[in-house]
Amino acid sequence: MRESWRRIRAVAANTFLEAVRQKVFAILLIFALVLLAGANYFAEFSFQEQFKFLKDLGYATISLTGLLVGLLGAAQLIPAEIERRTILTALCRPLRRWEFLAGKYLGLVSLLGVMLGIMAGVFWLVLRWKEMQLIAAEGGEAQVVAAIRGEARDPRLWQALLLIGAKLFVVSAIAIFFSTLATSTTFVVAMTLMIYLIGHLQSVAREQWLESGEKAGWALQTFLASVAVLIPDFNLYSLIDEIVAGNAVRWPATLQVLGYSSAYVGVILVAAACLFEGRDL
Amino acid sequence: MSVALPRWLAVLVILSWGFLKVPWEIRMTKAQRLATVGVTGPSAVALREKLGQGLVLAALGGFRGLAANALLLEAHGAWEEKQWVRVRSALEMATLLQPRVALFWDLASWHLAWNAAVAAEQYSENTSETRKRMEARKWVEAGRILLERGTKAVPEKSLLFQRLGDLYWQRLADYQAAAACYREALTKSDVPPYLERFVGYALDKAGDQEGALEYFRQLRLSMGNPPDPARKPEVVDREISRLENELRKGREGARR
Repeated sequence: MRESWRRIRAVAANTFLEAVRQKVFAILLIFALVLLAGANYFAEFSFQEQFKFLKDLGYATISLTGLLVGLLGAAQLIPAEIERRTILTALCRPLRRWEFLAGKYLGLVSLLGVMLGIMAGVFWLVLRWKEMQLIAAEGGEAQVVAAIRGEARDPRLWQALLLIGAKLFVVSAIAIFFSTLATSTTFVVAMTLMIYLIGHLQSVAREQWLESGEKAGWALQTFLASVAVLIPDFNLYSLIDEIVAGNAVRWPATLQVLGYSSAYVGVILVAAACLFEGRDL
Repeated sequence: MSVALPRWLAVLVILSWGFLKVPWEIRMTKAQRLATVGVTGPSAVALREKLGQGLVLAALGGFRGLAANALLLEAHGAWEEKQWVRVRSALEMATLLQPRVALFWDLASWHLAWNAAVAAEQYSENTSETRKRMEARKWVEAGRILLERGTKAVPEKSLLFQRLGDLYWQRLADYQAAAACYREALTKSDVPPYLERFVGYALDKAGDQEGALEYFRQLRLSMGNPPDPARKPEVVDREISRLENELRKGREGARR
């Protein structure tokens, strides 16, 4: 077991370093510039509106950056290795296929984790900078200062970031799953994006299948059931919207979604490992 | 192990997990809905409408907030150009994208019931005063309907009930309805302390001075002894003596 873990770590470290060498961190500079520009763009609105704009922009930019890095990174992992034949060199060593796959995934999520951490840090700094700017502009009235501080130092920021991270980890696992089946990056990106989009509709299909009470033809019922069973419910992550709206989101609800994400990643990776075992290289 | 077996195993793993996860997803969705909007079941909306909204949400993925903000900017631009229909459609779309953001409902109703209505009253090209007033009333009504919907979308916050009360008071002169809205706002945990006096003011304005006096007396009692200075007991005392004086004068006038 310890040997297995050592090999997985080695593959993960290699994947992480390879991604770093491809200058993915340069994207972070663009992220910071977008955020700083956005922070100054809405100066004519009230401070509550300005913080809402800034938070929406921050969370969306973090999500989009993470989605692109996770999706494109995962889509390239296996097909590129097969195309370059480097996978044969790796697998002729005492390395099992599932260990290779787990290492690749771990390397990718480490990269995503580091990027999310840096982006969260930049986001936090921009929020604090906005706080100082607004306090200076709005004057020193204690109630206003407290309200601005409340918006800028909202501890739910970390809750939202955890949810964004969990969603990205699930999307990356799905991309890895498709990359064990496919030979082309385009197929993996297209399939994963399709699952990502349908995932936001999954709850509608599930409710129609199980809870609506409406009679539907067997073909429609089978389709709805397939969507509900095979596709993750990405609407569960809309707790992030609640946080931006300033509504209370309890930690148990967040932890449940994190648990669901972990279970999903585990299952998808097991299925991907099964497929990868049977694949001709 | 044959090559075919792991593939079947993958299908088996995914299907088993699929049937296991569905009840879990249902439980989580119900818990989230209960915590956010206070209901657990699916909304009674036809599939076609749900799909319409869902497709918008799916197409936007996790980026609804950005789209809603873009609509808010569009509404702001339209407001500067006094294009009220554009303001209304942009803000209604924003509330559809992010119905849980109280700020959107608040801003949308303010634009409609105040800005658009005042513009119709004062700057409309209509020459008839009655038509001007009818046009203004139409905008106030649009703002009221929007706020009513907002209170259902964000029922746990006091802000929209307070704004609805303000609208009934300032735009429709329906002070009893305003008092009812302020009372509802008082049941929310985030209510600002000054709002508790507004129920009494609204009852007084509605002509129910007895009711207002009784309300202020109950309010003063609820402040305890010594009262919390943040709840401004001196203002409540002042209102009680003012109402007592006015009622006494009224009774004396009636006797004469």
